Amino acid sequence: MMRYFLGAVIGAMLMVSHVDPEAAGASGIHGRLVRVDALPPDVCVWPAAVQWAEQTAGRQGRRAAALPLDDRTRIYAGPPARTVQDRFPAFAAVAVDPARDEVVLTDENLFQVFAYNRLDNSPADAVTTPKRVLAGEHTLIEFESGVHVDPASGDIIAPNNDTVDTLVVFKHGSSGDAAPIRALKTPHGTFGIAVDDRRNEMFLTTQHDATVVVFRKDADKDDAPLRLLQGDDTGLGDPHGIAIDPKKDVFYVANYGSHALRRADREVRTGVPGAGKGRDKANWPLGRELAVPGSGTNDGPSISIHAITAKGNDKPLRVIKGSKTQLNWPTGLAFDAERRELFVANDMGPSILVFDADAAGNAAPKRVLKGPRTALAHPTSVSLDGKNHELWVANFGGHSATAYPIDADGDTPPLRTIRSAPASAPSLMIGNPGALTYDSKREEILVPN
Amino acid sequence: MLGRTMHGVDYDARRDEIVVPQQFGQAILIFRGSAAGETKPVRVIQGSKTMLTALDRVAVDGVNDEIYVPEGDRVLVFDLLADGNVAPKRVLSGPDTGFTAAGSVAVDPSHNIIVVGAAARSADGRGLPELAIFDRTANGNVKPKRVITGAKSRLNDTGNIRIYPEGGLVFTTQQTGYVAVWSLDDDGDVPPRYTVGGPNGLLQKPRGLDLDPRHNAVIVSDKQLNAVLTYEMPQLFQPITSSR
Repeated sequence: MMRYFLGAVIGAMLMVSHVDPEAAGASGIHGRLVRVDALPPDVCVWPAAVQWAEQTAGRQGRRAAALPLDDRTRIYAGPPARTVQDRFPAFAAVAVDPARDEVVLTDENLFQVFAYNRLDNSPADAVTTPKRVLAGEHTLIEFESGVHVDPASGDIIAPNNDTVDTLVVFKHGSSGDAAPIRALKTPHGTFGIAVDDRRNEMFLTTQHDATVVVFRKDADKDDAPLRLLQGDDTGLGDPHGIAIDPKKDVFYVANYGSHALRRADREVRTGVPGAGKGRDKANWPLGRELAVPGSGTNDGPSISIHAITAKGNDKPLRVIKGSKTQLNWPTGLAFDAERRELFVANDMGPSILVFDADAAGNAAPKRVLKGPRTALAHPTSVSLDGKNHELWVANFGGHSATAYPIDADGDTPPLRTIRSAPASAPSLMIGNPGALTYDSKREEILVPN
Repeated sequence: MLGRTMHGVDYDARRDEIVVPQQFGQAILIFRGSAAGETKPVRVIQGSKTMLTALDRVAVDGVNDEIYVPEGDRVLVFDLLADGNVAPKRVLSGPDTGFTAAGSVAVDPSHNIIVVGAAARSADGRGLPELAIFDRTANGNVKPKRVITGAKSRLNDTGNIRIYPEGGLVFTTQQTGYVAVWSLDDDGDVPPRYTVGGPNGLLQKPRGLDLDPRHNAVIVSDKQLNAVLTYEMPQLFQPITSSR
């Protein structure tokens, strides 16, 4: 599991010596907020706009706090001598929309959401132009780790993993710097999303506090979750992807395995990051301020299967776990209710694992899509197209989304590929780099993500 | 044991080891410096005795073989060679320390100090950001030697902290868009002596930071740009002898 970590290290090293001239450089990719003006009083302000205003004001406030500096401060503003930066989108999550022949992809590198034609197929040296792009301050889009397309409306629903703590909903057809039609504040570390249309419920995983929170599908603003699954017995540990089996009323969660216990009756630790700004809401996760010191463990990767109504500290119905499973950073999940199969985007495989819907224990996958011809590269998300019998994968480490026959097995090449960069462009996978260190012996920069 | 959400890392040149905090599993993972691929850590500090709760960052003192972990209202110090379920050898904590929300720390064995990036304790929980400087071996409820804080300091959300002992300088990232640099002798409400990368430069949300004095480099990661930027600053990597 060091590869992801070291992948960034090696990526950084490669960029120093083998940098694609187009990928380097310090060109300002992101627009910079110049000012925030109050809206005129007769302008209708909808909730998302309010949240946007909060967000942008926060950014403005942070930057404003920097100025003016004292005259005695000597300012060296730059520019940098070197910049390691991927200027191409890195696809993190995928949702295929067969009703509209579209594929929606999130980009955690440049903070965008794309809609492509489902039949797009990029040549190796070319980049496909999306039909629509959502990006900009109004969108609240940053690290969108998951995505769901509503089958009926085509609306796009995308949770944010870290920096914004807000799930955004866009009307189908939205593009540019559009404000979301809904913006739901979510717990810190929200990652995966699954929607149960029969129950009108939306399921989200949260990494930091090892939970599943269930909201109304149309939840907005400060709405509280309907249910919370969190506790010692749940089997959740650094949960990522989530998928629902509507026929058996269960949901599946992909767990990396690390977690620590929480106790609501503990004295709140001061000054440690919590679960976000929702502590006063019902069914909000217990954050790290209520963690039990020294209770942390790493139980290894697993898929836990839960009753659709699971809440509190409910045990999973069963768990897929063990050496035969090949699970290794299982990240995205998708479920095919007709074929009775669970699809796993297995980041470190790199592979797509397919399990029988009823698999349990140390079960081997029934199919494994893996090999050099697959072009899989750190797959982090998978989506199924039952109408056209295809399987879509977002390759976070490959600047690509790839489509396969739904029953693809072994070293099967993709049917089509959507590229966000030429195939030769290095994929840095620097995502939310909150730290770095310099290895003075090897003259390398190490960047955890 | 690593995940996709690692918030800290430090390199120990003396032992040639990489130290990574695993926040979800409340663990400190130590890897060989040459580690590549799916390599197991050579040591893991984890378990009921560790007191580890919400670790985001670590700092390694390769001279005295110690690992520092800032955690809200305390700083835990472990033996660098510790392995398994071991208790910290020192815990810096208590009202006299004056800090809470400790999220970063740096160690300077040559000046025998540590610098803690935190917020001042206050009744309403809205204490100002601060850099609190303690004796390196401070243990228990100890007052800081000096505290840099206040309006003139422009301290904001402090990210990584690094020390350049030869120049007597402490560097820290500020989410206001720059790296701020103070003298280790600074105290009270004093402005930074230098800034790097901004304000009004390319940096937007700088978090990670390290120094390469041999190449006069200040290396910064930015979580808004998803980038690593290297600033060559020969003017900072000289011994500072004059005061302001």
